[in-house]
Amino acid sequence: MRKLLFVGLSVLVVLCLSVVYADMTLTNAGGESITFTDEELGTIITSGEKPFEGVTITITVNEGGPKGGISGPLYEWRDVWEKLTGAKLNIVEIPYAEHYPKVMTDLLTGTGQYDGFMIGSDWMGELVAGEYIVPIDKYMKDPRFPKWDPESLPPSIRTLYTWGDTWYGPLNDSDGQVLYYRKDILNNPDYRAKFKEKYGYEYNVPPKTWNELYDISEFFNGWDWNNDGEPDSGIVMHLKVGAQGMYHYASLSAPFCIMPGEKVDKYHNVYWFDPEDMKPLINSEGHVKALEFQLKLAKTGPDAQVAWSLGEAWDYFLRGKAVFTFSWGDVGSLVQDEARSKIKGKMGASILPGSLEVYDRSQGKFVTFETPNVWGNTTGGSWHGVISALSKNPEAVYHLLAFHATNKISLWNVQRGWTGVDPGAKFHFLPPYGTASLDDYVANGFNPDDAQEYLKAYYDNFFAPNIAPYLRIPGGNEYWVALDRHLSEAYTGQASAKEALDRVARDWEDITNRYGREEQLKVYQESIGYKAE
Amino acid sequence: MGLKSGRIKYPFILPSMIWVLAFTIFPLIYSFGLSFFRVRLGKPATFIGLNNFIRILSDYKLGNSLRVTLMYVAITVSIQLVLGILIALLFHQEIKGKSIFRALLILPIFCTPIAVGYLGLTIFYEEGGPLNSILMSLFGWKVPWLSNPFWAWVAVLLLDIWQWTPFCFLVILAGLQSLPEEIYDAAYIDSSSEWEIFRKITFPMVQPVVVIVLLLRLIESFKIFDVIYSLTGGGPGTATEVYSLYTYRTGLKFFDFGYASALGYVLLAMVMVVVNLFFRRVRQVYE
Repeated sequence: MRKLLFVGLSVLVVLCLSVVYADMTLTNAGGESITFTDEELGTIITSGEKPFEGVTITITVNEGGPKGGISGPLYEWRDVWEKLTGAKLNIVEIPYAEHYPKVMTDLLTGTGQYDGFMIGSDWMGELVAGEYIVPIDKYMKDPRFPKWDPESLPPSIRTLYTWGDTWYGPLNDSDGQVLYYRKDILNNPDYRAKFKEKYGYEYNVPPKTWNELYDISEFFNGWDWNNDGEPDSGIVMHLKVGAQGMYHYASLSAPFCIMPGEKVDKYHNVYWFDPEDMKPLINSEGHVKALEFQLKLAKTGPDAQVAWSLGEAWDYFLRGKAVFTFSWGDVGSLVQDEARSKIKGKMGASILPGSLEVYDRSQGKFVTFETPNVWGNTTGGSWHGVISALSKNPEAVYHLLAFHATNKISLWNVQRGWTGVDPGAKFHFLPPYGTASLDDYVANGFNPDDAQEYLKAYYDNFFAPNIAPYLRIPGGNEYWVALDRHLSEAYTGQASAKEALDRVARDWEDITNRYGREEQLKVYQESIGYKAE
Repeated sequence: MGLKSGRIKYPFILPSMIWVLAFTIFPLIYSFGLSFFRVRLGKPATFIGLNNFIRILSDYKLGNSLRVTLMYVAITVSIQLVLGILIALLFHQEIKGKSIFRALLILPIFCTPIAVGYLGLTIFYEEGGPLNSILMSLFGWKVPWLSNPFWAWVAVLLLDIWQWTPFCFLVILAGLQSLPEEIYDAAYIDSSSEWEIFRKITFPMVQPVVVIVLLLRLIESFKIFDVIYSLTGGGPGTATEVYSLYTYRTGLKFFDFGYASALGYVLLAMVMVVVNLFFRRVRQVYE
């Protein structure tokens, strides 16, 4: 009898546990399934109560369509999320160049047309300063919502999702530019020998400094090194005005003009403005040298690249027409798509090179380093969702964003190039740096060598000892646009490097004065962690 | 009774009055007011008198936009007009399949300018675009249509001329077709030179129509925005950044509404001056 009771109780316990910890398999629009634990999904879903029944939320996102970068995952998981929560998701796609003005118009006029926005992190200063978006800390601790792992983010990425210690958005994209190169071409013994004969030294793979990269790019530019019957290029960049071309400059220039130091002060770890008076540093000698270098480097790529946006430049690299490009994580995963790429299995990737010569503003001259001055970067949007302060349904918005931030959906996104979601969290990386599995990447179409190169490059970049400062102040978009248009003048020969950057500085002063120097200075200091002594 | 009193007309004209007041007069007055304020959405507007207009005088970026706009207006309008007259003269003759060609020729007018810009992106695409592919196969070279400031200019001009020449052609052709035949019968008795007849009879008679076309195109060209916005975004650099694009960015991208309003009024003043000078000259000629 006792035995029977014990068996009965055991069965009951197992049944109860299986109810409490029942896994749930969700299938997206593309027919792919992921199995979640109840804890991962949160009690709103597992209880089946559908508290958002009848609620419609509207989210803005960069135009890209159902298979586009950042917009794609929203479409992919919309049906299943709607079914689980009872809410309706309205996705509003806005062209990249129009997105920021549309969002700001909605917020500034108090229209409240949108409940949430998939924002670029450089909008954060304006959004937080104006209290246009709501903090999410209280939701993050709430077991009702899907569980995601903020601790998995490196400090460099975490900074972009927070202001001070306050969180504003769950994990989505992690942007940073790394160097992509043709491993097969650079390791070709004939090419290496010819290079040595011409330049008098053997190059490193990957190159350690920008000057070394220039030599290699110059060597490979203008002849048919891939035997396709057409001359090929050394490097390719996307330099079109209004199409994120200025981000190349931001990543490349950091090692020429940022002096590393133990803390942020007037002369160390600053890039954009003098943290004491908001005077632009953009036309300082370090910056001018960096732009002169970029102009020289651009000559080792196709002429048309000054009118190319991301897609065209990436495509050129994917078709095997350039030895180098430096861009976002999208490239690494797009290389794996054999419909678009001819270089799967031939790709190398690394953190961006450094510079041995760095401008030291405290001494007013260039100083020479013994080892390259290397800076990791978070250049780009690190596009992620935030909740509008005008939304009547902030919980539904957070639920959606947290659902997309769960480790499993986040990893699913990262393993597919078209999603535009790039790796940054520890669970995206391979051991010993993270917890992801190489087999999993391979099962999702990655070449194993490419996957290892790619993920190591991003790990090195986001966990680098030095991370280039990110611009997050009110008017951030206007500062970027000014930089973009004048850089384009330099790229197209309408202005010299110095002239172009002087114009940027002039515009930036004008913007700062209009926004109010004191207010801007305060936000800028906060955003870069500067503390006056 | 009501009909006789004439009151019945008011309900009929009311909608158009509301339309004009709401969408023309009100924005005009409102933006004029804005031009005297520093306006940032979300913050109280500050009265700054003429400062926005004074700022225009010291805005170094505006010089480029003005230069680009004036060049654009001068080149496109004159080419469209000349081509319009020539094509109209051609279609004023008896040619086979005239109605089909005429219908085909006027098709570009019906395209949305923003779509024309995006179409241009495809046509002028430098690596393997249709135009460069033809040039490569015929001559072995290609044109840096969108990456070179000069050629980007040419691309914009070509698109605009392609789209608006048919408008000039159509209106001038209508003018030509309304000319009385008898005059030509008499003229051919005195002269057999087509050029003489065109110079001394056709052109003077069709000139009022040409003037109207010129005026309409001048006003429209000063406001050019869509094609450039979608084709070059004002680039490369600032090579094709016209006045309207600069004003749009100032107001709707950077939310500097006071300054954008002042810029808008300066453009309005410029167009009015040009049109008035033009009208005065025309009046002198006809009087």
